[in-house]
Amino acid sequence: MGKYLLRRILQFIPVLLIISFIIFSLVFIAGDPVALMLPEDASQEDIQDLRESLGLDRPFIVQYGSYLMNLVQGDFGDSFRYNASALPIVLERLPATLELAVAAMAVAIIISIPLGIWSATKQNSFMDFFATGGAVIGKAMPNFWLGIMLILLFSVTLGWLPVSGRGTLAHLILPAITLGTGIAAEMTRLIRSSMIEVLSQDYVRTAKSKGIKDFFVVYKHAFRNTLIPVITITALQTSTVVGGTLITETVFSWPGLGQLLIQAVNTRDMAIVQACVFLIAIMVIAMNLIADILYRLLDPRIKYN
Amino acid sequence: MKKKSLLFGGMLGASMIMLAACGGDEDTSTNEADGNENGNGNVSEGAADVDEDDRTLTIAMGTDIVSFDIHDHNNTSTEAVHDNMFNYLFKKDENQEIHPELVEEYEQIDDRTLKISLIEGVEFHNGEPLTSDDVKFTLERVATDDTLREHPNYNQIQEVEVIDDLTFRIITHEPEPSLFHRLSRIGSGILPSEYIEENGWDHFLNNPVGTGPYQFEEWVRDDRVVFTPFENYFEGAVEEWDEVVYRVIPENSTRVSELLTGGVDIAVNIPPADWERVEDNDGTHMKSETSNRTVMLILRATEGYPTSDVRVRQAINYAIDNEALTENVLQGAATPTRTRVAPGNFGANPDLYDTYVYDVEKAQELLDEAGYGDGFEMTLHSPRGRYLQDAEVSEMVAGMLAAVGIQVNVEFMEWSNFVDMRAAHTNEDAYLIGLGNSMFDGAYSVDWYRSERFEGETDYVNEEIDALLEASATNMDQEEREQQIQQIEEIAAEDVPHIMLHQETINLGINDRIDFTPTMDEMMYVPSITRN
Repeated sequence: MGKYLLRRILQFIPVLLIISFIIFSLVFIAGDPVALMLPEDASQEDIQDLRESLGLDRPFIVQYGSYLMNLVQGDFGDSFRYNASALPIVLERLPATLELAVAAMAVAIIISIPLGIWSATKQNSFMDFFATGGAVIGKAMPNFWLGIMLILLFSVTLGWLPVSGRGTLAHLILPAITLGTGIAAEMTRLIRSSMIEVLSQDYVRTAKSKGIKDFFVVYKHAFRNTLIPVITITALQTSTVVGGTLITETVFSWPGLGQLLIQAVNTRDMAIVQACVFLIAIMVIAMNLIADILYRLLDPRIKYN
Repeated sequence: MKKKSLLFGGMLGASMIMLAACGGDEDTSTNEADGNENGNGNVSEGAADVDEDDRTLTIAMGTDIVSFDIHDHNNTSTEAVHDNMFNYLFKKDENQEIHPELVEEYEQIDDRTLKISLIEGVEFHNGEPLTSDDVKFTLERVATDDTLREHPNYNQIQEVEVIDDLTFRIITHEPEPSLFHRLSRIGSGILPSEYIEENGWDHFLNNPVGTGPYQFEEWVRDDRVVFTPFENYFEGAVEEWDEVVYRVIPENSTRVSELLTGGVDIAVNIPPADWERVEDNDGTHMKSETSNRTVMLILRATEGYPTSDVRVRQAINYAIDNEALTENVLQGAATPTRTRVAPGNFGANPDLYDTYVYDVEKAQELLDEAGYGDGFEMTLHSPRGRYLQDAEVSEMVAGMLAAVGIQVNVEFMEWSNFVDMRAAHTNEDAYLIGLGNSMFDGAYSVDWYRSERFEGETDYVNEEIDALLEASATNMDQEEREQQIQQIEEIAAEDVPHIMLHQETINLGINDRIDFTPTMDEMMYVPSITRN
């Protein structure tokens, strides 16, 4: 297991290198931030002067080379917009995004596990139809629209919850629901189908025939075997969560990575964009690794060699 | 079996800890939040009935401030925040007239020298007194460091010569008629030289210090900036507010919702679709003020383009009904104009403001004369969402031009692509742009007609204008300079290299508990904001 872990971590290096190249190229192709940094009535000389002083007139390979050299030393370069080192700015935002992501996953798990199991055991009933139908609707609703609707209902009309910002637990509720429902929808469907499959297997029938109560059959025997695909989807959904935070954070003015990234893209703040995407990539890779380790713990039959 | 359950339990436990850790995070931030955002967590019953005794002023901005480096940005909404923390040597009043702020006395020694003595007893937020050295440090930094974004607006200054602690001379390379305009705007706040030299820039940027009525408390990027009153402010501490919180809320509908529920006291940039909602809501109202931004079409005068013919440009101008635009598309919240230099700016030409020409027959005649009687096709590049109703304005202009046979293909562009197009000179026949003037000196607006400035882009050449521009640039006779600028505007209004459409308004949503009148320069000077 230790060897396996080490190998997996070493595999990160080329992956991250490729990611760095892709991000850098894309940002390079996307164009020059200088014109955006200056006001509408800036002259050509002003633009050229600033471009030179930022080193943006150098060829691609030189810029990428110096970028990589700095990257190895943990330096993502300076943000044009904030005129400060990019990494600390990005790291500063990480807790807010993690907080939202974990809360959204919690919402998703709380909704999807009971609902998925329930609709699997009561297959083809009215409730099953209701749950699967609800999942389709949940999946289809855009985060952006859902967020604004929730604000209008719970904040503006009812006045129960704050509109935006971060601070108290109350601030977390609406964004977590907005982000969590889409994931819950996906997970409910998956848990349902996986549970149906498990319930039709021999050992479940055996357990039932031995007179064990339905409740124990479902929750003690079948449920754990449903967990493997659930963990896969949870790990995969992390990227969805991070993607979803981009929009949700903007709607709720949640000061996390997503809002920072969107602002950075709009202003072509290269260093921030690169640092953000890098961090998100690392998070996704790490989640996949954690998922693999959890498989092993759950099902000793899975071997890594 | 037992081992497995243990594992399963462990997993559950681990996820519980994860959740708990997250909860812990919230707790700490809750404490912070309670400390400095009373107004924010305050949930009301639908209407904006906020606690009368609440002494926290909360202002919702659309974008975060860029930095506390006052020399290295050119962002009006950032200056609107800085304005409360830093003082300028001179300050514009609500009518954009310039008065001394930190200055006790001043004297124009000759065309290149301005002698100034500072008010005695002005203190920085860290307790250090304001001296001539601070002015020298500040102005010479922005005048000499060409990597700073405000450098082009200050490199006219040659040096600041210190005479004694409170007296100094500002010497410019050439006669500089706009010096007072420069010293009363973005980039000219006076910085504490000793504090910065001792602690370094990074420290200053995280713990900025000025002489203004409010002092820095906290900046959480893309979330909030918090200020508290400065006890030893030289004009007396501001007692009205215990705290000023600028919140960053980029999403329009969220910003409006915050205003409607009383979460914020002032919300900037309310989109026209929400004006009625804000007015009808119990406890909030709208306030508008003319901004210094004029929306216009920039045409190509390059040889070979139909618009190189002045008659075609005039025809376009005649074909556009500016009033219909301002009334219908902008719901009355804009002023038609034939010049970029609006009242409130030096060199404004009142004859050309709040007026327009509209005559479809005349337009058709001019097109016939120019040989385009059957019309022609052209492309109009337009940003979308950058200016008030910009896309709608472009579409309506296209409709109006169709009436005289000019087929306009409107091409909407995302802002950064639009900026690229301009920087790369790949503009086709026309583009729509809105331009402000933070200098409030008309010289900066009419400079857009200077022939060498847009060579290869719009290629407009007018020798008469070029001569007037050159003459006015170093003209210290302000009266004469004003006439020169006005004359340029008159020529441009006839020659129409750019077709002026209208002057925008700034549209704020305001809580009824607040008394605030916005100003044309888009500053939000907190000492002028009071509770009702």
